[in-house]
Amino acid sequence: MTFEKSKQIWGLKWDADWVTAVQFLGDSRRVVAGNRLGQMMEWQLPDKLEGDAPQPLRQLTGHTNAITRLRCTRDGRTLYSASYDHTVRQWDTAAKSDGETKLTLNVGAVYRRSLRHSGKKVEPVLCTVALQPKSKIFANQKEWITVMLFSADEKQLITGDDGGQVVFRDRASGKVRKQWAVEGWVHALAVSPDATRAALSERRPLVFDAASRRVFRLWDIAKAEVTADLSKDFSKMYLPALAWSPDGKTILVGRGEEAEGKIWLLDAATGKKRKEVSPIHQYGVTDFIFHPDGEHFLSAGRDTVIRIWNLKDGKLVKELGKPRGGQFKDWIHAIDLTPDGTLLAAADMSGQVNIWHLA
Amino acid sequence: MKPLCKPHEHFNRRAFLKGSLLTGAGVSVANFGSLFHAQAAVNEAQKKGKRCILLWMNGGASQLDTFDMKPGRPTAGPFRPIGTNVNGLQICEYLPKMAKVADKLAVIRSMRTGSPDHPDGIYHMHTGFKQSERTPHAEIGAVIAKYCGNLDADLPSFVRMGPTGNAGPGYLGPNFAPFSLQRDGRMPTFSTSNLKPEVRERRAELFRFLETEFARQHQAEPFESHRLAKERAWRLLRAREAFDVSEEWPAHKDRYGDSNFGRGCFTALKLIERGVPFVEIGHDNYDSHANNFVCHKANLQQLDPAWSTLLLDLEDRGLLEDTLVVWMGEVGRTPNINNRAGRDHYIRAWSIVLSGSGIKGGQVYGASDEDGRDVAENPVNEGDLFATIYTALGINPRKKHFWGKRPVWLTPEEAKPIAPFLS
Repeated sequence: MTFEKSKQIWGLKWDADWVTAVQFLGDSRRVVAGNRLGQMMEWQLPDKLEGDAPQPLRQLTGHTNAITRLRCTRDGRTLYSASYDHTVRQWDTAAKSDGETKLTLNVGAVYRRSLRHSGKKVEPVLCTVALQPKSKIFANQKEWITVMLFSADEKQLITGDDGGQVVFRDRASGKVRKQWAVEGWVHALAVSPDATRAALSERRPLVFDAASRRVFRLWDIAKAEVTADLSKDFSKMYLPALAWSPDGKTILVGRGEEAEGKIWLLDAATGKKRKEVSPIHQYGVTDFIFHPDGEHFLSAGRDTVIRIWNLKDGKLVKELGKPRGGQFKDWIHAIDLTPDGTLLAAADMSGQVNIWHLA
Repeated sequence: MKPLCKPHEHFNRRAFLKGSLLTGAGVSVANFGSLFHAQAAVNEAQKKGKRCILLWMNGGASQLDTFDMKPGRPTAGPFRPIGTNVNGLQICEYLPKMAKVADKLAVIRSMRTGSPDHPDGIYHMHTGFKQSERTPHAEIGAVIAKYCGNLDADLPSFVRMGPTGNAGPGYLGPNFAPFSLQRDGRMPTFSTSNLKPEVRERRAELFRFLETEFARQHQAEPFESHRLAKERAWRLLRAREAFDVSEEWPAHKDRYGDSNFGRGCFTALKLIERGVPFVEIGHDNYDSHANNFVCHKANLQQLDPAWSTLLLDLEDRGLLEDTLVVWMGEVGRTPNINNRAGRDHYIRAWSIVLSGSGIKGGQVYGASDEDGRDVAENPVNEGDLFATIYTALGINPRKKHFWGKRPVWLTPEEAKPIAPFLS
C-alpha cells in the first residue's frame, strides 16, 4: 500500500463536545467513539465507501466524565472504556439493545448559536439511536484513568492513572496481577509484545516549582523496577504518546503539551534514539498506531493532521488532513485502524469522527 | 474648653517642605504618605492588632474549577463539585481539605473587575486602582504595613514571597516597601553574610560613626533615609532566624504539603506569630491558556493542604480572629474552554475568598449566571473588595493621603464594603 490515494470518506457529526477516543470493533465496520462528557456513540459504516455519512446507531451510557481510551478485543465482542470518572467499563458489543432514545447530533452548534443575539437560528439535527445495555465496571481507581491498553495476547488489561498507579489486570477475571506506583501522574505507557517490559512517562505539570515532574523510564514489569531512566535524553519534556512496535524492536515517543510535537524512534533493546522524524506535529503529538502491514506507523497531533511514516527509516509517507483553526489548531485526540489497515478513524476535537480510506 | 491640638494635627516644617517640594521642571515630588502625620490613624489601627495573609494565585485561578462550579453546563470542566461543611456550598473535588473548613470561608462569586491582563490586573488587584492612573498607588501590603505595622520592629512589616504584587509602596514611600523572600520563604541568598557576627557589628559601628560625622556637615533627608535603611537592614539581620523554619518544617510538611507554597504558608504563620502584619505568598502558575485542567489539578493539590492547614493553625493559636486570609489572583478564567484545553482571562464574573479577622464565614456573596458568563447578582469591584479588606482590618478605607499636593484615598469614593461579611 502506497497510501497515495488515501482520502477522507466521512465526517461522522457528533458535536455534544470534543470527541476524545475512537475504536473499531474487531474486523467489523462498527466504530465507537467517546467524548469529553463521558458519552459514547456507535456507528455502522456502510460497505460502500460513498454517500452521506451514516447516523449513529447506538448510544453507550454509563461514564460520567471524559473518555480517555477505548480498546476492543480482536474478536470485536468486548469493548473497554477508560475515563476521568476513575472507572474502566466493559461492554458486551453483541448485546441486544435496551430500547431507544432521541438525541440532537448538533447540540453544540445549537448552544453556541444561542449565545449570540443575532444571526440565523441553527436547527437541531435529531436522530433516534438504540441504547446499549448497561456496562460492567471492570476497574475502579482513585484518579483519572489516562492510559489503557491490552497486552499483545489480550490476556491483560493495563491501566495508568493520575494517582501514579500502574495496574495489570487479568482480563478474564479482573484480578490484579501486578501493580506499582510512580511518583508522578502516569502520562503514557507502552508495553513490549511479550509483556515483560514497559515504557512509561510521568508528569506533574507545575510551573516554576521543584515538584514539577517530567520523567521517562523503562521498566521491568515482573520486578516492577526501573531498568533505564531516559529522562535526561528527553529533558524537560512531557511525553503523552508512546507505542511499542509489534515486532518488539521499536518504541515510538511523542512529545506533547503545546511543545514542538517531535517524534523519536527508540531502539527498544537499548533505549537509544534511533531516529527523529520530520516534520513535527505543531503543538504536540497525541496518539500513535502501527499499521498492520508492519512497515508503517501513523501519528496524530494537536495540529489536525495525521501522518503516515515508514517504520524502518522514519520517512514521511503521507499526510492526511490540513492544519485547521486559528493561531492554535484543533486536535486529533486519537486514531484507530481496522485490522486490514484500510479504514482509519480519527477522534476530532471539533465534534466528529473522521473516517479515512487508506489506499 | 477646646482640647489642645495634638502634634499630628499640625504641619511640621519637615513635612511641609517634603510635601511642597518641587522639582526644577515643576513636577511635584512625593511626600511619601501625608502632609498630615497620620500617627493617630496608625495608632488606632495598631491597637486592633490586625494582620493579613494574602494567598496570591498568580496568573488567575479558574473560578469555574474551584469555587463557582457549573456542573452539567457546557462551561463545566472535568472537575466535580463536592459538598462542604456548609450546607449548600459546593467546591471543587480537588479542594477536599478546604471543604472541611468552608465554615471559615466567605466566598465572593460576583467579582467584576476592570483590568483583564496580567501587569494591569496584578496592579489593580493589589492597589484597588487602575495602573494607568498617574498616581503611584500603594500596594495592600504597604497600606497594612503602615497602619498595622511598627516601623521600629526588627522584622519588616510587609513580607512577600514568590510571584506577587508589582506596585510596591507607591505614595507611602520606601519605609513600607516589601521585603521579598524566596519562593519557599527562605531569606534571599544575598542576605547570608560571610562575616562573623562580631566582625559585622564592628563594621556597623564604623559605618555609624562615619554616617554621623557626615550628617553633621550634610543635613538632608536622603542621607537620613539611607542611614535608617541601613539600621533597619542590620536589625533585620539580627532577627533573620524568624525566617528560618528549617528545624520545624519536617514536622509540619505533611500537613502543609511538601511544596514551596506549603512551606511559604508555614513561614507566613511563623511571621504572623512574630508580629509581622502582612505576608503575601504567591502560587505559580494559574495562567492556563492551555491545559487548564491538569494545570489546575496540580496546583490545587498543593493549595488545598497548605491553605486549609494555615487556617487551622491560625485558629489553634487564636490568631485567626485577627488575621485576614485573602485568596485571589489578578483575573478569573473564561467560561469557554478553548481549543488548547485552556481557559483565557476573564473579568466579568469570577471569585475571591476571604476568611478570618472577623469576616463571617460559611457564606457566599453574589452569584454568577448559570454558565458563569456574567454576574447575576451583587457585583463586586476592586474598590468594594479593598473597602471590605481594609474595614475588616480596622483601617478606614477612605483614609486620605497625598501624592505631592494631590489627595489620594485608600479606595475610590464609591467603594462599599460587603456588609454581610462584616456583620
